[in-house]
Amino acid sequence: MDITAAAAPVRVGAPRGLVPASVVLGGTLLSLIGLTWDIQWHSDVGPDTFFTMPHLFLYAGSAVSGLASLAVVLMTTANEKRDKAVDPIVGGRAVGVFGRTFAAPVGYLISGIGAALFLIYGLWDQWWHGLYGFDAVIDSPPHIGLLLSVSITMVGAVMVFAVAREQSWGTYGVAGTAAVLLVFSMVTVLGLRALPGGIVNTVSVGSAFFSVMILFMGAHLLKRRGAALTVAVIVAVLQAVFWWFSPWATEVYADATGLPLRDYTDGIPALPNMIPMCLIVVAIAAELLHRLPAWIPGAVGGLIITACSPLQRMLTYGVPFPHLDRYLATVVAGVIFGAAAGMLGRRFGQMLRHLAPAREGRHA
Amino acid sequence: MRKTILGLLGAAGLLLGLASPALAFEPVNVVHTEKVQAGPYDLTVGFSTWPVRAMQSLDFTFAPADGITSKTGTLTLVRGTKLVDDSPLARHPRKREVWGLDVFALPEPGTWTFKFAIDGPAGPATGELKDLQVMDQLGPPMGLSWAISTIPLFGLIALIVIAWRRTRTVV
Repeated sequence: MDITAAAAPVRVGAPRGLVPASVVLGGTLLSLIGLTWDIQWHSDVGPDTFFTMPHLFLYAGSAVSGLASLAVVLMTTANEKRDKAVDPIVGGRAVGVFGRTFAAPVGYLISGIGAALFLIYGLWDQWWHGLYGFDAVIDSPPHIGLLLSVSITMVGAVMVFAVAREQSWGTYGVAGTAAVLLVFSMVTVLGLRALPGGIVNTVSVGSAFFSVMILFMGAHLLKRRGAALTVAVIVAVLQAVFWWFSPWATEVYADATGLPLRDYTDGIPALPNMIPMCLIVVAIAAELLHRLPAWIPGAVGGLIITACSPLQRMLTYGVPFPHLDRYLATVVAGVIFGAAAGMLGRRFGQMLRHLAPAREGRHA
Repeated sequence: MRKTILGLLGAAGLLLGLASPALAFEPVNVVHTEKVQAGPYDLTVGFSTWPVRAMQSLDFTFAPADGITSKTGTLTLVRGTKLVDDSPLARHPRKREVWGLDVFALPEPGTWTFKFAIDGPAGPATGELKDLQVMDQLGPPMGLSWAISTIPLFGLIALIVIAWRRTRTVV
């Protein structure tokens, strides 16, 4: 009997690179869930130990992303040592680490470094709590170190999906990872409270800067109409889900551990309320003004976010409107930093486009 | 594949199982007290650490002699002459029979005043815990702590600079 072999092996199952990329994205989502839950826990219930459930989500998030990154690096290294072809669609071009000891796809190298830094800053945080006690201060130096480490893993996740931006899973992955990074950054910017801002609200300006920068980065990386809006819609979905989840999970966990809610708990979801509710308006402005130099829609974005930020706090917390001089100074700073964020976001998007494997007749 | 999934589920279950029932929160252990007279109300202010240092978190308890039932109040924290915090007196989450602040740190060293405004069956009254000396923080200076903690940020900036230079000519 004659058997005719197929000319090329038919690939079944998930596209190459999708599985490890999804695991890294899943890890970053675990970190985000842990963070929103932990902040709400401290706000509504209080006590802290090393092994609270929200903390486990935070640790698990970095562990999952880090182990997935390590697995890809080891598999890439093994393939290169055996002179097997390394497909750059899995995390990008492999770079040598410790000479040529390891061959690490650049996206997974960054996400893995973020996870390793998380471990180191976890020890720094543990020492800090041993010295100062288990306070619930989100913007202590070690906490900011931990948040920056997770942010680096999230940047690596964006890079991993950016490599596959010409495939549909890469496109949606870029939008998803950019949204996760944007939401997470709204907490990291609380570290700016340590800066002397005078009458400027440094956190509002920081939120505007990172929101505009990440939104523009996603838009210019994907280079298609609706990309900025897609990122903003995913952010809004995360905001809506966490608005429900954070107080709910906190109450359920408090009940399970027999702890009462604090007196005078307002029940307002803390992390979701740090995300600008006007982000979709900013994204629409970016879409409409996309033909203009990036600093113009960036400045408009910074203006919208810093102008609306006190209104959001008035709506949710019922706090009074800030002093006019403080408000105006913050809006002016928001416009300036928004313009810079627009330019930087555009440039970062272009830089990330270079991660995709080169194709004949294509330059970027 | 099935074994892998079962293994992962087992590990997740173990993690969650460890997290829920084994939580043991520290009891509130008062090691020092001060008395405050707020009109007709005798208030005992308790500290879980003494002396108090800046940035070091501790449990504060505020206990009227005849309990907190039918009483409300506010606590205003003042450093020197600067108002730092103003909030209603809430029950301590781990010692519900008294008011308190749990794992709370006074951010700056110096002379602090705790101002109490209490309203109860004997009417409204105010009282102050004056001249609470908060010592300097322990540990490294904050500049050094921030320098250590922002290393990832500077690493990220270095990565961006490298990527920027390498892609400059082809943008």
